[in-house]
Amino acid sequence: MYNLPSPQIEGEILAYIPFGDIVYYFSPYTLVLFIFALTFTALAILSRPEKQVDIAFGGDAYYTKEIPEKQMRFQRFMAISCGLATMAGVTTGDIFNFTLLTAMVGICNIGIVASVKNKHVLDNAYEYGILAMIGTLPLFGAAAIILATTGTLSLWEIFTPAVSVPVIAKALLVIGVIGEGMAPVYVAKAEITRAPGAPYVLMIHVSSLLMFLRVVEIIISM
Amino acid sequence: MTGIIRRISRILQNHNNLVGVYAFVVIAIIIVGLLLQSPLTYDQDQLYPKSIDKNSSLDPYDRGGVPFGQTNVVSQYPENEPYLGYVTAYLTPVSLWISETTRFMGTTIVSHPGGIIDEILYNTRGLDTIIETAILFVAFTMAMFLFTRRREE
Amino acid sequence: MMMLFDMIVYDLSAEYEAALIITLLCIIISFWAVMREREDLHRLILTELVEIMCLVIIALVATDLAEALILPGLVVGIAEFLALSELYIEKEGLRKAPENVLHIEVMDSAPGIIAVIFVIYGIILSGFTGGAVAGLGLLFYFMCRGSSEKREIIETVSGYAWACWVVAFIVFMAVPQYWFFGVIIAGAGIFAKVVAKMSLIGTMNGDGGEGDV
Repeated sequence: MYNLPSPQIEGEILAYIPFGDIVYYFSPYTLVLFIFALTFTALAILSRPEKQVDIAFGGDAYYTKEIPEKQMRFQRFMAISCGLATMAGVTTGDIFNFTLLTAMVGICNIGIVASVKNKHVLDNAYEYGILAMIGTLPLFGAAAIILATTGTLSLWEIFTPAVSVPVIAKALLVIGVIGEGMAPVYVAKAEITRAPGAPYVLMIHVSSLLMFLRVVEIIISM
Repeated sequence: MTGIIRRISRILQNHNNLVGVYAFVVIAIIIVGLLLQSPLTYDQDQLYPKSIDKNSSLDPYDRGGVPFGQTNVVSQYPENEPYLGYVTAYLTPVSLWISETTRFMGTTIVSHPGGIIDEILYNTRGLDTIIETAILFVAFTMAMFLFTRRREE
Repeated sequence: MMMLFDMIVYDLSAEYEAALIITLLCIIISFWAVMREREDLHRLILTELVEIMCLVIIALVATDLAEALILPGLVVGIAEFLALSELYIEKEGLRKAPENVLHIEVMDSAPGIIAVIFVIYGIILSGFTGGAVAGLGLLFYFMCRGSSEKREIIETVSGYAWACWVVAFIVFMAVPQYWFFGVIIAGAGIFAKVVAKMSLIGTMNGDGGEGDV
């Protein structure tokens, strides 16, 4: 019943967890991605935020910027949600579930960036937000076209050779994930990596990277 | 030639143009995709097909069955859902009463517990709904964080 | 079993091909608009146009499943729109509450009774629509009687509603023979969730109650 039709892509199935119509699974490939996401979520839970150091000119004085307690808690919440969404996203066995989780990763990334109180960073967060919002159309559009043309949403069925997915759906799925995973570009532009609260920013990069790796696997297997 | 490359790189280097570039790429993908494979054929063998019984008082949501009984529902993996169809057939006492006295239950059945939509949303694809509410939760947390921070100043 | 009823099962294959092409054309138009627009606020509004096209392309599938998938699609759109509009206000540094807020006689006298009527009707309806109706009543109440201190309670309620939903899901997956409790818990959860979210919007207007009324 639950066998991956082409084990040369991501290996044999290790385990599966059925939730009704949505069946999650671990293959060697998704297991590695899952462990990555788990590690970085644990880091976000455990680590303390960095404090930016400013050095005063003309003397030995330096001081650290204080991060408000509330902002730290909020960023940690967003980073952990993002980690959980990524963990689910890399192991899911349903195309619509995958697109929803990608959208959730996008919103969490907006949240992590938007909490920094800096006009430049906020500008970038807004630009990214617009991109993430219009990016949901290719995502859900791809899932809807796949549902209409193949009659199923389950990756187990879609991966079988008998089911052929139209090119437009594959391309839209990839461009949708690119739209939601574009955050690192804006993060680098805004230099938020050097802004207060740095460990949580790591989650943006990790989640985008893992979602990309996962969508590549899905597209190849289709 | 170099002029074109220079123009493109000037557009790409400004991150404020990225949304426009992205929109352009999506348009290009749609056009190319339509040219490559068109028309896209609709698969007849769909999950949860819609069937309409004009004579039922639950129209258009009547999928047969009696409350606390099983109904035929075409789901992806019926073996994972031993009690598939019970939610579809269930009607609350209020909705049962409305459906027996009037013919307008179909207009309001979505808001009452029970029915095919609830079967999909709660039972067979319940995880989608969990993620959907989680998205709403995260977005509201973010909006409230920004709102309270602005107000406290 | 299915043959007992006078069923009409629609054959959509011919319509789907034409409808999909028309929808894709509309999507191209909406993305074209996003591409051309430079003003930040207008772009935010245009994203809503894109979201609507997203719902259309799901609705084209025209099965019960598509109908159930529209809800997550809609919610994602609303959630992102809400977060982004807060972000826009923050980014532009818009602090002043709008000056000429609507203030008419009925907003002083009616909120209580209207809210009660809406909440009772919402409870009768129950579920998502019921939550929206009851939430609308509370939204109106909070908008008229700006009360920001209630916000904490409402946030807690929405958290519990989310937990309700997770419990219902676990019931469905772990002990499916108790499906009835799952339905009722989930129905109550969605009701509380929608009410809480909508009344939260009600408390978010203006500067939180010192100025108005």
